Amino acid sequence: MMGLHFIHLFENDFYALFPELFLTCTTMLLLMFGVVWSTSKAQGYPILTHTVAWLCVWSLVCAFGLTIHSPFSVMVSFYNTFVIDELTFLLKAMVICSATAAMLMSMEYLKTSMLNIFEYSILILLSTISMLLLISSYDFISMYLAIEMQSLCFYVLAASKRHSEFSTEAGLKYFLLGAFSSGVLLFGCSLVYGYTGITNFEDIAKCLAGSALFQTHHSFLHLGMCLIMIGFLFKLTAAPFHFWAPDVYEGSPTSVTAFFAITPKIALLGVFLRLLLGSFYDLLFAWQYVLIFCSVCSLFIGAFGAMAQKKIKRLLVYSSIGHVGYLLIGICCGTVEGLQAVLLYLILYVFMTVNVFTIVLSCIDHSNTFRLKYIQDLGLLGQTHPVLAFTFSCTLFSMAGIPPLAGFCSKFYLFFAAMGSSLYGLALFGVLSSVVSCFYYIRLIKIMYFEQPSQLITYGAIDHEKAILLGITSTVIVFFFLCPHSLFLWTYKVAYMFLG
Amino acid sequence: MPFLSFLLLFPLVGALVIACIPSWKVRAIKTIALCTSLINFIVACGLWLVFDNSTAKFQFVEHIGWLPFFNMNAYIGIDGISLFFIVLTTFLVPVCLLVGWVNISKHIKEYCLAFLVLETCMLAVFCMLDLLLFYVFFESVLLPMFLIIGVWGSRARKIRAAYQFFLYTLIGSVLMLLAILLIYFQVGTTDLQVLLVSEFSERRQLLLWLAFFASFAVKVPMVPLHIWLPEAHVEAPTAGSVILAGILLKLGTYGFLRFSIPLFPEASLYFTPLIYTMSIIGIVYASLTTLRQIDLKKIIAYSSVAHMGFVTIGLFSLNVQGVEGAILLMLSHGFVASALFLCIGTLYDRTHTRLIQYYGGLVHVMPLFSFFFLVFTMGNLSLPGTSSFVGEFLILVGTFQTNTWIATLAATGMILGGAYSIWLYNRVVFGNLKPLYISMGSDVNRREFWIFVPFVLAILWMGFYPQVFLDPMHVSVSNVIQHGAYIS
Repeated sequence: MMGLHFIHLFENDFYALFPELFLTCTTMLLLMFGVVWSTSKAQGYPILTHTVAWLCVWSLVCAFGLTIHSPFSVMVSFYNTFVIDELTFLLKAMVICSATAAMLMSMEYLKTSMLNIFEYSILILLSTISMLLLISSYDFISMYLAIEMQSLCFYVLAASKRHSEFSTEAGLKYFLLGAFSSGVLLFGCSLVYGYTGITNFEDIAKCLAGSALFQTHHSFLHLGMCLIMIGFLFKLTAAPFHFWAPDVYEGSPTSVTAFFAITPKIALLGVFLRLLLGSFYDLLFAWQYVLIFCSVCSLFIGAFGAMAQKKIKRLLVYSSIGHVGYLLIGICCGTVEGLQAVLLYLILYVFMTVNVFTIVLSCIDHSNTFRLKYIQDLGLLGQTHPVLAFTFSCTLFSMAGIPPLAGFCSKFYLFFAAMGSSLYGLALFGVLSSVVSCFYYIRLIKIMYFEQPSQLITYGAIDHEKAILLGITSTVIVFFFLCPHSLFLWTYKVAYMFLG
Repeated sequence: MPFLSFLLLFPLVGALVIACIPSWKVRAIKTIALCTSLINFIVACGLWLVFDNSTAKFQFVEHIGWLPFFNMNAYIGIDGISLFFIVLTTFLVPVCLLVGWVNISKHIKEYCLAFLVLETCMLAVFCMLDLLLFYVFFESVLLPMFLIIGVWGSRARKIRAAYQFFLYTLIGSVLMLLAILLIYFQVGTTDLQVLLVSEFSERRQLLLWLAFFASFAVKVPMVPLHIWLPEAHVEAPTAGSVILAGILLKLGTYGFLRFSIPLFPEASLYFTPLIYTMSIIGIVYASLTTLRQIDLKKIIAYSSVAHMGFVTIGLFSLNVQGVEGAILLMLSHGFVASALFLCIGTLYDRTHTRLIQYYGGLVHVMPLFSFFFLVFTMGNLSLPGTSSFVGEFLILVGTFQTNTWIATLAATGMILGGAYSIWLYNRVVFGNLKPLYISMGSDVNRREFWIFVPFVLAILWMGFYPQVFLDPMHVSVSNVIQHGAYIS
């Protein structure tokens, strides 16, 4: 009898988190399948990497279907520890799509770099689950646990190329600094809890409501909030907390780097938004300065750091630091437009990053021995792969924010939001740094079209999965300008539901 | 009849068709590109014929929803100010395609694609009545132009030139983006027709004007910001130079006339001395610099800077004569400078050098060419009877009413213009042949001849009977002047 009651009690809660539950069960099944099958002597110890990877992709597709057909639009479940609303819906859909994209683009990489461990895909699936939970989390405890689960998967993923020194180094570095930032985050949470006695996001917002009016200074509360922010900024690779990122991203296998660059930002930014614009909204003027500082730093380091880079992965890391700076501008605004601009920027950023990393991953020569590593290796891509080079140029121009490509649409709205919140200086800085960042984006284009490489490399053909990914993302990047209306409207709706 | 959207979309349709043709079918690609641009030109001429001279309202207005929720929509329409730029653009694009008919040997498909896309962007700039979308197309002109300079340029330095061109113009225009957002923030729309009836506080006007100025002054280019122009001109292929001189330089002055002057009248008056000073310095400095150049293209590039100085003076004389003269000079410069670049391209195709010291006595071997070159040189020094004369004369008349000194100083530009133009012609065409350097000489062939003829006709027509060009402008220009209450 008790068991049945239990089921009834949580019936709706289970529905609310159905995609996560589904993915968890699938992960377990796949893990068992992998463990049993790959050690079976009767089958001849098969390498299941490819099979498991495809099964993961299909289960992600199913989870996507479950997410968009969720029976609830707004709900708080499991004793106020998880929430679903329009924002989580959008972010979850993005996380699942980007994880699928990351899986698809790494199929061929897994095969050619002989990363014969089926756990790779399962780890990606597991971290996707934790990110979904992170997006939904509505409580410090659930948030922290989800972050830790995600980070744990990431440490292993970063070190997954076991015979490579760089990869193990990256894993170790990531572990040390990730553990440190988690510690900072946890300390912040405990300070906030110590001051208010609350761990629930909504309750914190209620507790702080109107505190700005009374001009009271809760120094410990502010300290706690700052530490939480620092923890998140660490994980988001915002300057000045970005030092670990270039090494980790460079050392990790490229497919993992792609996954790192695309997916976790969505989830972390989602919960960061929920915390700042939801729970700590009444302390806007306290956290705004921290974010403005970080945003300026990120823009500066993103723009100037990337200029000195010779390796393509490091360059992309610095460019992503710059993009985080732009995203922070949107959060600083603290308005519906600001939130909308962040979401819009995030969506288009995901498209562009997927595109770029797909291109980076598809540059492998015929004999599968040489991969794109230095930016000079892109030399004469314009002659050997004209279509690929053209796609890459479009994406780079879009990242630089040149109209009429998609990157411009997101940037101008971001600046508009910043102007709306009277952050004129920040908007000006953002605009100028976008010009500076043009330097290195155009440099890549210059290398592709006009420079002779030191050694002539002809890259092989692109496989189906990547071709499809490239097709979809470049279509969005080039033609988004023609009908941006529906996406603008959707993000506005989400932002308005969240803040309005 | 949606004339304007036809004009905008037709090159894209052509580009799409070309994109589907395999790149080894060179003949078909070229023919389709040329036919597309010629049909566009004919439609644009039709537009001129049915244009109603008696109203200052925007004509052929169309409305396309872009971001209706945010009040940003693509309004397109033209008035007497933009009409001729559209005609000029559609005229120059087929010329560019014809110029590259034989001597562009690599990436012909992409060449045609780039020019057709460029045509759409430029036309969109001239007929867009929405500030934000104007900015979008104003900027997106950079992309095909960057490729044109970078891919089909002549020397190793072209990369540097493309870089400079791109970054200079970008830095200028991002400030304009912020200004546009500020305007949108205040008014709630970027529709020009609404903006024209809204007012900005004086302080804000100054800021906005400066931001717009940063963008337009780089594009014009006004003197301290002109560094990119000679570089880009020298390195660009002939067709690129033609577009650069013919259309892109006009984008800046067009922007002044379309946006800065009517939207920010107080600021325009306030900054008029700045414009005058910069323009005068530009005219004198650029003219003198022209005298000591050794590269043919650089000479024309610097003389363009000088002429654009005239244009900005005319625009900011803020009376009907000056502004109409400025528009006419822009048009005339579009013909004359383009034609001069074509001449230089003709020489370069034969000799593969642009340094003056290798040339001399061309009249002996290329009489027809010398004739065309003479007409265009006379156009460049604004001899009475050529189009530039009418423009410069009107500008000086207009400026004389507001500032005598400026008019006097600007008039020295005409003398200096005579100096460098005639000296250039003298060195290249007369004197002795230099067979040591130039061994082969063949006069213009049929293709080149028929490219030059329309330019000669246009220049003389505008010189002898400018009324046809001035009539459609009158009402629109007076409207701009009266709108800003510039007439006291």
